[in-house]
Amino acid sequence: MPTQLTIPKLQMSTTEGTLAEWLVDDGEEVEEGQPIYCLETDKSVQEIEAPASGRLTQKVPAGETYPVGTEIGEIA
Amino acid sequence: MGADVMPKDLDIDSATLKEIYRQMSRIHEVDKAIQAGLSSGKFQFTYWPMTGQEAIPASIAPLITSDDYMVTIYRGIHDQVAKGVPLKGLFAEALGRENGVNKGKGGSPHISDPASGSMLTTAIVGAGTPIANGLALASKMRGSKAVTIVNFGDGATSIGAVHEAMNLAGVWKLPVIFLCQNNQMGEYTTIPEYTASKDFASRAAGYGFKGVKLDGNDPVAFHNGMKSVIDEVRAGNGPIFVEAVTMRLGLHAGVGFTNHLSKEDLAAAKAAWPVPCTRALLLERGICTEEELAAIDSAAKTEVQEAVAFALESAITGTDEMLLDVYGDPRVVPKRGQREKRAAEAPHTGETREMAMFEAVQDAQELALRLDDQVFFLGEDIGEPAGGVFKCFKGMQTKWGERIRPTPIAEQAIIGAATGAALVGMRPVAEIMFCDFVGVCLDQIMNHAAKQRYMSGGATTVPMTIRTIAGGDIGGFGEQHSQSTEATLLHYPGLKIVYPSTPTEAKGLLLSCIFDEDPCIQFESMMLTYATREEVPLGDYRIPLGVAKVKREGSDVSLITYGWQVMHCLAAAEELAKEGISAEVLDLRTLMPLDYDRILTSVEKTGRALVVHAATEFCGLGAEIASTINEAMFHKLKAPASRFGAAYAPIAYSKTIETAQIPHAGSIAARVRELVK
Repeated sequence: MPTQLTIPKLQMSTTEGTLAEWLVDDGEEVEEGQPIYCLETDKSVQEIEAPASGRLTQKVPAGETYPVGTEIGEIA
Repeated sequence: MGADVMPKDLDIDSATLKEIYRQMSRIHEVDKAIQAGLSSGKFQFTYWPMTGQEAIPASIAPLITSDDYMVTIYRGIHDQVAKGVPLKGLFAEALGRENGVNKGKGGSPHISDPASGSMLTTAIVGAGTPIANGLALASKMRGSKAVTIVNFGDGATSIGAVHEAMNLAGVWKLPVIFLCQNNQMGEYTTIPEYTASKDFASRAAGYGFKGVKLDGNDPVAFHNGMKSVIDEVRAGNGPIFVEAVTMRLGLHAGVGFTNHLSKEDLAAAKAAWPVPCTRALLLERGICTEEELAAIDSAAKTEVQEAVAFALESAITGTDEMLLDVYGDPRVVPKRGQREKRAAEAPHTGETREMAMFEAVQDAQELALRLDDQVFFLGEDIGEPAGGVFKCFKGMQTKWGERIRPTPIAEQAIIGAATGAALVGMRPVAEIMFCDFVGVCLDQIMNHAAKQRYMSGGATTVPMTIRTIAGGDIGGFGEQHSQSTEATLLHYPGLKIVYPSTPTEAKGLLLSCIFDEDPCIQFESMMLTYATREEVPLGDYRIPLGVAKVKREGSDVSLITYGWQVMHCLAAAEELAKEGISAEVLDLRTLMPLDYDRILTSVEKTGRALVVHAATEFCGLGAEIASTINEAMFHKLKAPASRFGAAYAPIAYSKTIETAQIPHAGSIAARVRELVK
């Protein structure tokens, strides 16, 4: 089953996040725990690690701000 | 490898160390799964990561059983995993699901799982310590050898509850271990910024017991240190404070590593992370092969994956649960348009004796002690020779020994001890000398005693009683010993509140409270404690909660009241009768559950209502009752239902002001004339 990637609520105050940069190209294989994108929230920039291993599909471009819960990609 | 084999240079047997690592691996997998769920957006809840602190509960786990109690905090998932809370129920709870250990109603910051001994998780810093005392007290009074371990962070050492709890534990020699997980940070503030103390363990000496400082990141040293601590506490030598030095690798709340350490410090902290370090140690000492360790990790991972799948399959807890577990009986919850009919007490036909209210209270207390060996009393000055500031305990300590427990002047410690003992089925009764003092223990009452049944989805209950005296109307007590605080407490769902106006009712309601399944508070008014005497039924005489009583029949207006204002309303009714106005006086007796049936029945007869109380009129119970009458009976009323309470000011020391600011017969009669004209 593919693992959905959505903009996470990392802290209590988070309502939206900016997908600053994809660290892995679309269609590449990733290992669980490997940083896959950079998320900018009101407080900090954080590397988000892959929650599963598999092939990454990017569904939205970097450089945009999305509300918490927006699907940004999947790992299948 | 046998259990008794000591690896060279390691002061622990191999099987124990391997078991400690197994618990650490389970904790680590839980942490990883939560962080992955949150960062992928699959989970949405607030997480207070305990990353870095895994060795502490993992090293304790082999030393305790489910008979030992544990209390922890919102950053306590590691404690719960190691204590044996089932992971399926734990994850379902964190996700707010029906199959959570607490039906999804408390969530990750409020786990209670009595089956494993994980009794309570608080999200109020330091507030678990007074409650842990109560658990330990129950063990001690029951002659059990169980110990209670209460976990809290270094940040909690600054808060009053911890100091009150340590002091009480010391004086009562309770079998409790204060386990301070010193992770070097109180939320986002580091140690030198919030305390000048050099360490925390040394504080215990100030309270007359032992404090030890242990390396919480070294499973061998910590396990061995805790073994002596637990043995000593179990043997009945009193409490011990343990400072477990560790490092929080995560944020206060959220996902990822802390941003409060420099890059170098974070790298050093990660290098000392007990999970990989212990794994490496097992490998290096030849205790486990890589295959064995991989099998441990893989089993932990599978357990966690199954738990996550179980949680996600469970339904999100729905609104059908909203009003359940507020009280044991859901009919206690007030609902618009509901008129719960409750039977009144049967008329008493047996023997009686003349008593004042304070004597009737003592009579009830004596009886409760005789009826149930789980009943005990605690409060300031209740021992000999004082026998209680209000003389409700005269001679009782001599007669009942440790079941009458005089306490330090520390209301948080008192209420916490009562709550903790009630959590495991005792029936404690706490005296809070004046009801103004609920201000110093309100957290224990409103956030813990009141909410615990709900937060635990009914897994735990708090059948305790608080008795408290309301000053006021006497003069000379001043602003801090004269206020009526019942409206404050009525705002916290989960509490039942009674307010007798006669000695008989003080006895009958108190006995019902003591044997009730929920936390109850009995207000006793200083005006009535010694002033009124009447024939009081002897023996087991109880008045059911939630039953009001007509104290004077009338047909023109209903005076709805309670406490010493019943006396003023009866005097007003007498005065009004001379003018041809017939006032009915309804004594509520219980404020929660409120007897709306008898309230509306009375107003249906009279067509007019005035609710009278000594508490501040603004936002008082009178406004609530008047509003309900107006909504329920708008077309049948001859005048809008109204309320009359104290003027909006602290209760003044000046007798002239005090008399004027609280309703009295004259001012009540004047308000009635306005309604009737």
